[in-house]
Amino acid sequence: MDSIGLIREFLQDRLGVEPENVIPEASLVKLGVDSLMMLELMFEFEDRFGVKLSSDLKTPQTVGEMVLLMDGLIASQKH
Amino acid sequence: MSQRRVAITGLGLVSPYGGDLADFFGRLCAGESAVRHLLTDDLPRPLSIPFVSCPGFDPDAALGKPLASMMDRFAQLAMAAAFSAWDDSGLPRQADGDKRDDWGVAWGTALGGTLAYEKGYRELWQKGRERLSPLSVVLGMNNAANAHISIQLGLGGVSMSHTVACASSAIAIGEAFRRVRSGEATVMLTGGSDVPQAYGVARAWEALRVMAPGDAETSPLACRPFSAERRGLVLGEGGAALVLEDWDHAVARGARIHGEMVGYGTTCDHSHLVRPEAAGQIRAIGLTLADAGLKPADIDYVNAHGTATAEGDPVEVAALKAVFGDGAATLPVSATKSMHGHLLGAAAAIEAIVTILALREGTIPPTAHLAALDPDCAGVDHVTTARHGRPLRAALSNSFAFGGSNAVLAFRAVDL
Repeated sequence: MDSIGLIREFLQDRLGVEPENVIPEASLVKLGVDSLMMLELMFEFEDRFGVKLSSDLKTPQTVGEMVLLMDGLIASQKH
Repeated sequence: MSQRRVAITGLGLVSPYGGDLADFFGRLCAGESAVRHLLTDDLPRPLSIPFVSCPGFDPDAALGKPLASMMDRFAQLAMAAAFSAWDDSGLPRQADGDKRDDWGVAWGTALGGTLAYEKGYRELWQKGRERLSPLSVVLGMNNAANAHISIQLGLGGVSMSHTVACASSAIAIGEAFRRVRSGEATVMLTGGSDVPQAYGVARAWEALRVMAPGDAETSPLACRPFSAERRGLVLGEGGAALVLEDWDHAVARGARIHGEMVGYGTTCDHSHLVRPEAAGQIRAIGLTLADAGLKPADIDYVNAHGTATAEGDPVEVAALKAVFGDGAATLPVSATKSMHGHLLGAAAAIEAIVTILALREGTIPPTAHLAALDPDCAGVDHVTTARHGRPLRAALSNSFAFGGSNAVLAFRAVDL
């Protein structure tokens, strides 16, 4: 599964957000992702892709920023 | 400062029968047991015990997915019961111009988020994982229930949890009552919730040899308080909530008042962790009557702690006989745990609701399965089938916990 697929699945499963609303420009806060849910999302992401996010990470504000962050990490892990 | 009268304006629960409050009380009065056989798939040996579950409870439907996913089951049951009681009170969920800065929550739970921690241990020790979800702390903390309730209902006053084993919610309700009576709080949401089906918890209770045995066929009859054939207690999950409100505030907004809370007393046996002692219970009942300004002769019903353990039931009857003297023989007593089970930290809350409904309806629910009274439990008027159509003036609800903590609540009917 790609990054946006994982985000869509997570938000639907945890918050009941319809997948079609999870678009790159959507604000994560407006979709219901508060700071706790963000931690949980990052945890899930680390688990699925076997990566480790650094603890001084800048918190993404939109779905698009989150996807960029995830894709970057996955790419760097492959090297 | 003069004392306020305390109105009970909201009642709500997650019923093991799946229906609403009226359905719950009706089934209790019909003597219908909610106890079933619980068979789990736990490793290394499944639980196989009589238990009271709430199989009809759908947290996503009751709370919405985003809220439900932030909670352990004990908090989900709490929140659902709290919403139900709040809606029953007629107060809007969102503050509508009313200032709620002194409105609070006092919640009882013996086990809190034990299920959440147990899930964590399984992940670590059974599945070999090295880390846990970042939500584990907020799911597991014992004050999660009251914190969620305060947030959802916009209550800016005290928000606290009480952990006193089987008397947890009696003490929560009592402490809430005192705050409304003193004028510190205009409204208090109170009650309790627990989920004793946690594997380690249920196994621990088994080890104490106080749990009644039962299979798929016999479980509904497993809990028999005061009976010569009693074999022990039956645990259950659940959540039950009450809205306690300043009487004048309730009247001013035209609220329906189910009953009046008039007294609370609590003591400790200070003698043994698990062996109850009549002296401590006698003091608790006496304190409650004095607090309520009631005489023993004013009490028309006692909802007993009555767990159906060998040791506990006769001690409670001895305490009632000591307090009520010659009146004990005609004092109606029933132990509804025979039907809804022992909900630990939610027990006193569900029994407070039963007691208030008994007063409101003029109907005493029975102790189920009490065909053969234990002579050691004789001396009070055991109610074995529901008694309808009799005006009841005032009633007590007893809760006596491991640790020796005793708490008794007193309620009065509104129209008498």
